Amino acid sequence: MSERLSEDDGFQILETGSIPTNAVMINGLPDVGLVGLLAASHIVSSLKLYEAGSIESDLLPPMIVLHGGLPKSPVRIFADDSTIVLLSETAIPVPLIRPLATGLVEWAQKKKIRLMMSIGGMAVANRQDIDAPKVFAALSEKSLEDKLGGSAEILDEGYIVGAYGLLLRKCAQSSIPAISLLTQSYYNYPDPVAAAAALTSVNKILQLKIDVGDLLKRGEEIRLRSKDIMHRTQEEMSRMNKSHEYDLPPLYG
Amino acid sequence: MSSESNKDHMGSRHSDHSPIHGSGWNTASASIEPLYNLFVAVSELVLTVDLPYVNEKKVKLRCPTKEAIEIFAATTRKITFHELGAKHRHGEFTSYHARIKIPVRVDQKKIKSKFKNGVLEIHVPRTK
Repeated sequence: MSERLSEDDGFQILETGSIPTNAVMINGLPDVGLVGLLAASHIVSSLKLYEAGSIESDLLPPMIVLHGGLPKSPVRIFADDSTIVLLSETAIPVPLIRPLATGLVEWAQKKKIRLMMSIGGMAVANRQDIDAPKVFAALSEKSLEDKLGGSAEILDEGYIVGAYGLLLRKCAQSSIPAISLLTQSYYNYPDPVAAAAALTSVNKILQLKIDVGDLLKRGEEIRLRSKDIMHRTQEEMSRMNKSHEYDLPPLYG
Repeated sequence: MSSESNKDHMGSRHSDHSPIHGSGWNTASASIEPLYNLFVAVSELVLTVDLPYVNEKKVKLRCPTKEAIEIFAATTRKITFHELGAKHRHGEFTSYHARIKIPVRVDQKKIKSKFKNGVLEIHVPRTK
């Protein structure tokens, strides 16, 4: 069931379970505030998705994660009959970002993904003073605006650094509808409140009913448990100049 | 232009802490090192510290030298690594402790702080 999708450095997607076609794919990679990882983990547990595959690459750190006493890849794919979630429990090393984005979009084309959504954070300096973080959306095509249904504010200008930026562009080039949801969050503190805000938008866009109450209730525990992965993610964000996103938007459109 | 505005908005980021035991756990003082961020803005230094399970009244600030700020914060309860999912680590902590090196000159007498939603924010004006 395994499939080699890229010539680059042994990157491959191993399929170990049934992967649906015409599904919605949601990416939860660790970045600003771990918003994507926290939100995607919550989706996996709320929708009771099964483990359906993993990402294997020599560019990942030489590590495994143990779950239920079994060794797993830190980057795994979960699914049910209509949803696929890509979730990483380690920061994606900068050299892997480009082959990962390319390989995922090629794979998404084969799986006839009908919508690719990436969930991430957008650091704001005054996060402490924001009780209800705003969600912004960058789109691969204008026609997706209607799909948002007012659940996120459109990002018209600016930079997106990292895997989500490349995914969005490659999806646009491959005619895969894609939305990057970026929620106001702390830069290097795990932010379950921002993850809950992102999930509220996901609920509206996909017409789901994921309860975010538990995410908020367990906020302090989640922040503490995610402390070390946040620290390592911060190191990768520095390497990829993530702060470039706070530069003024490009001059020419 | 954009690079300068970036500095104005976010400040220069400093975060050079590297935990020795993972989580920066100090077994002798039963403390861990919190996540923190140091921004050096034009006129001030802004330090934020993530302190889940902390009550504002239990936060203590100290300036042990001209080049450092020290933070102590007792947690609202004893926290074991076991309950955080690390079954292989036997241990617990009851506080956070960080000694943060300041990269610029500041007026430590004018230090101000606020605590909201478990995040401590410290402002100290810069001096020449």
